[in-house]
Amino acid sequence: MDVLINLSLNGLATGMLIFLLAAGLTLIFGLMDVLNFAHGGLFAWGAYSGIWVYTSTGSFFAGIIGAILTGMILGIVTERWIIKPVYGNHVQQILITLGLMLVLSEMLKVVWGPNQISAKTPDYLSGSWEFGGIIIIKYRVFIIAVGFAVFLAVQYLLKKTKIGLVVRAGVMNKEMVQSLGINIQKVFMFVFMVGAGMASLGGMLLGPYSGVIYADMGMEFAILAFIVVVIGGMGSFTGSVMAAVLVGLSGSFMAYYVPDLALAANMLLMAVVLIFRPHGLFGAKG
Amino acid sequence: MTRIFTDRMNIIYLLVAAFLAVFPFIYDSRSMLILFSQVFIFAVLAMSYDILLGYTGIVSFGHAMFFGIGAYTVGIFMKRFEPETSYFLLAVLVTIFLTAVVSYFVGLLTLRLKSHYYAMLTMAFAGLFLVLAEKWRTVTYGNDGFTFRVPDFLKDRTDFYLLCLGSMVIVFMLLKRFTNSPLGKVLQAIRENEQRTESLGYSVLQYKVIASIVSGVIAGIAGILYAVSLRFVNTSVFTMDITLDALLMTIIGGVGTLVGAIIGAGIIEFSHHWLTELAKVHWIFERWIIFFGIIYILAVMFFPMGIVGSIKKWKFSRKKKVPAPVHSDTINQGKS
Repeated sequence: MDVLINLSLNGLATGMLIFLLAAGLTLIFGLMDVLNFAHGGLFAWGAYSGIWVYTSTGSFFAGIIGAILTGMILGIVTERWIIKPVYGNHVQQILITLGLMLVLSEMLKVVWGPNQISAKTPDYLSGSWEFGGIIIIKYRVFIIAVGFAVFLAVQYLLKKTKIGLVVRAGVMNKEMVQSLGINIQKVFMFVFMVGAGMASLGGMLLGPYSGVIYADMGMEFAILAFIVVVIGGMGSFTGSVMAAVLVGLSGSFMAYYVPDLALAANMLLMAVVLIFRPHGLFGAKG
Repeated sequence: MTRIFTDRMNIIYLLVAAFLAVFPFIYDSRSMLILFSQVFIFAVLAMSYDILLGYTGIVSFGHAMFFGIGAYTVGIFMKRFEPETSYFLLAVLVTIFLTAVVSYFVGLLTLRLKSHYYAMLTMAFAGLFLVLAEKWRTVTYGNDGFTFRVPDFLKDRTDFYLLCLGSMVIVFMLLKRFTNSPLGKVLQAIRENEQRTESLGYSVLQYKVIASIVSGVIAGIAGILYAVSLRFVNTSVFTMDITLDALLMTIIGGVGTLVGAIIGAGIIEFSHHWLTELAKVHWIFERWIIFFGIIYILAVMFFPMGIVGSIKKWKFSRKKKVPAPVHSDTINQGKS
């Protein structure tokens, strides 16, 4: 029972981190038809800048804010200078965002050096609780809570606000939204900014969770996020959260019971979903 | 390819190949030999990638898997059996067989999908091979890799140089023939407009699968040469870096032109060599790849036809008032 609960919590926490990355990817894809291969780079940048702010100011909260701001700024720059010139051209988009991924992760090494950086959990979040013999690590619960809060906030934003309405309409039919007099470019930028901010937040939270951050973590998590986006259905926000939890849980249980197959299982899952249900489990359009 | 190029260009190619063939006898430098061999090997890889990206218009992020299959096959054969010529040839045959089978099945499963999904799924398949190489320790020795001995005829660096040069020239000629064949023309038609090609009655999927098999087998051969040149193989041959290298070389050199892939390979490998040496002067050169990342992004944005393509376009517009060859703006045609 102890093991089961811990594995589930672990899986949920990882799932939430993947969700933070995948949610941005899926929203960006749904609205702009752009698959951002550089999203993992934003994730890693969030981790590095957040941890840097955290260690230099000593405040974990400031680190989180720093990470989100860095992510948003990078997101705006990416959208404006890199992706805007190639809207509507899939091959060019794939090539250019992959190039950006390369530049972003190399830039990390230029700024912070090629070595791993260790990240500590803040005092008030380290340690664990004990309930009748079951040990629950605080930080994992914290990640799950933050992930859930972000999920609720984005859900509220999408379902209850004006801009959310525009975004949802944009996912369905961009041209129509534009012809109704809404500046879709601004909406694009907003969504990209939010997506990049979420990815950076995820990276920042991962730091103390895994203990170290390194430049290649962006790519590793990006692959998981792609898997999640494909399984959940491109452009489906609810799908991405379901699939992220699924991938997180399968990752943590597989890592415990059949460690050799942990990563392979997720990739096989994605391959099977793509072959039999190319639109994903929750995807409305392909 | 039009008339103006074929005759004069063939002579130039021949001269360059002849010069490269006598080069080791004029200029005796071991490090240069190794560097040039490396360029030829990656030129083979980049040309194979160009068949997909430049001639068929599909972006694969899993090219490293074929390269890795070649590298591991030859490594395992040399390690498990005797390092003899017969086993080496057997390893080559096995590589061709394996890469053909793998690229056939992967292609059949993935090529029906749209460009995004295809790119991601090939990335995932390459990831599977990477995991396999890491976990199947009894055969691959995991992440550490293993060294192996090579047959006698591959031991001499000059001989190996000539072998790599020969392979590059042969692959170049074969692919040139391939891309100019009716089949190659259909591939280029797919790149220009997939729907139209399909409506003309060509079964697009089958043609794409053929392109992916040809490309995969040649990448496997590049992998063999790479492993032999290092006499060592580890999981790095399956990583994304190999695919990225091929991508950078093809884009910077020029997509849709085989020469471009060779020139791109030369540029990247030589700059790698020189910039790493410059790292003693300033540490930023340690991160040389960042320059190429930026050049690559600019190239995709502003010069989608790369060095060779741009030169060709410029030459055409200067010589005659005819529009540049259609295939020069490959990437621009990727709209779907």
